Amino acid sequence: MSDHTNKNIYLPYLTTVEEVIDETPDVRTLKLVFQDEKVRENFSFRAGQFAEYSAFGAGESTFCIASSPTRAGFIECCFRSVGRVTEELRRLEVGDSLGVRGPYGNSFPIEDFFGKNLVFVAGGIALPPLRTLIWNCLDWRDKFGDITIVYGARTESDLVYKRELMDWQERADVRLVKTVDPGGNGPEWDGRVGFVPTILEEAAPGAENTIALVCGPPIMIKFTLPVLEKLGFTDEQVYTTLENRMKCGLGKCGRCNVGNVYVCKDGPVFTAQQVKAMPMEF
Amino acid sequence: MKTYISEQNLNTLLDTLIAEGKRVVAPRMNAGTPLYEPLASADELVTDQLPKRSGKEAFFPLCEDIMSYEKEGQKVSITDIDPARFPETVLVGVRSCDAAAIPVLDAVFSWDYKDEFFLERRKKTTVVGLACTMADDACFCTAVGLSPAETRGSDLFLTPVEGGGYSCETCSEKGEALVKSYTALFAEACSSKALPLAEPQTEKIDLQKVKGWLDNHFEDPAWDSIATRCVGCGACAFVCPVCHCFDIVDEGTEKSGKRRKNWDACGFWKFTHHASGHNPRDQQPKRYRNRIMHKFKYYDDKFGETLCTGCGRCIRLCPVGIDIAGIVEEISKK
Repeated sequence: MSDHTNKNIYLPYLTTVEEVIDETPDVRTLKLVFQDEKVRENFSFRAGQFAEYSAFGAGESTFCIASSPTRAGFIECCFRSVGRVTEELRRLEVGDSLGVRGPYGNSFPIEDFFGKNLVFVAGGIALPPLRTLIWNCLDWRDKFGDITIVYGARTESDLVYKRELMDWQERADVRLVKTVDPGGNGPEWDGRVGFVPTILEEAAPGAENTIALVCGPPIMIKFTLPVLEKLGFTDEQVYTTLENRMKCGLGKCGRCNVGNVYVCKDGPVFTAQQVKAMPMEF
Repeated sequence: MKTYISEQNLNTLLDTLIAEGKRVVAPRMNAGTPLYEPLASADELVTDQLPKRSGKEAFFPLCEDIMSYEKEGQKVSITDIDPARFPETVLVGVRSCDAAAIPVLDAVFSWDYKDEFFLERRKKTTVVGLACTMADDACFCTAVGLSPAETRGSDLFLTPVEGGGYSCETCSEKGEALVKSYTALFAEACSSKALPLAEPQTEKIDLQKVKGWLDNHFEDPAWDSIATRCVGCGACAFVCPVCHCFDIVDEGTEKSGKRRKNWDACGFWKFTHHASGHNPRDQQPKRYRNRIMHKFKYYDDKFGETLCTGCGRCIRLCPVGIDIAGIVEEISKK
């Protein structure tokens, strides 16, 4: 984790929007560059960490850092416009200023994954927290075994990072299994049709020496975990990231707890074993 | 070290501090309501009433600016808050339950990331506690292991004595410094007896037993009956000396404004409401369960003590008569 140079822990860094990418009709990626040269050079983070992004006048919103730590000089966030802050973030154009506080929270223990096969399982807007790790692993490709990505969304247009899906599809060192829910496919669709847990079961990645990384809506997680179990994965082999409403991101403001676990400090990355030990309050 | 200060000299001390430009916060009447507020003069000090709100506001105000922003075209400039704005403060006449709450809050605001807004004020504040002589039937400090004579959180602790004035106990370097700086106002410890202290009519609760039950009963039918009355008004959190949840919001226009930290409460439905519409605590009993869990389990898991000093304010104020002391006592007997 990089040192927060401000004494005021609530003070954001200023960034400039360098690029705006529409992922879906209501999901947008912002590529951000830190305005202060020192921060730009020194800002470092690990895959899985999150930040507080501020649209000044509207407030702050919590998202993961969606770009890979291996790509320096900028960060990316990806969000759906659903509330006051995200509507305001959506109005930002190239050249506009935006505040960023972070990086916060724990991260994927990527070093523990060296030498192992990886299975990424994501649904809908939940690809960004895994995409940071996917690119991190692809940039260090020789450190890992087989890499499988199972990604699905309701419809074709709800898939995020479409250009990167094409990239992963073309790569010989990645197995991409993309799917849309029944009825979500157009005439040109070249992927699978079915819900993520079903498609994962059909893809049947082996559990031996493999880590599964799962991120998606609660309903997808609920049906994916038993599939992984069936495929032979133990709870220690399965990682996920949780999200909860947050304000400070620093373990003070008191709202992101699941039982006595603070998602902002103890998470957002947890093993399935840790998640199963939590009370059902997320 | 023990000394003695007369009522007159205490007034002189406060007036001197005010004249020196220090902020003296103490119980005073505000439109008929006793509150911890800055005094204009020592005459305003009220020692015979329990303040309606706690003393936490001296360190953790209801609303406070944490930065300001200004936009000009595509550029934004942000301005930090100057910590010099936090004045040297003497917090006087603090009840034992309110003073004991201060170190509890220290833990939250100083673990890992340091919240300078709280900690700078804390550093610049001397706490003069006051032994409590007037429990009402909502008070339960003794039930949670404290007492009207508890000195925790105080730098200097005053106990009223027979014949007037206060016996003073120095509890920290800050307290010692205060006595030394105004040494002429303090006399040698007197032999007068302390006035009878308050005697809250509550039995000591076995908090470890309470925690033991909470550890294993996140799901339990009891929660529905415990919390079914809660209307989610949040009053309990606002008057609580140790509740510390807050919101961060921007207030202003698109051109300029301030970012502020405002008190919040886990009883509010919106507290955990996601933008997507999902709410992990979507019903009031779940929110009240979190309040009890945080106070008597989660905080203890993390910091090794209870997040309650038994001040009784939430009981006095609850519009539907929820009695947290009664709830906890009942849990301890399960």
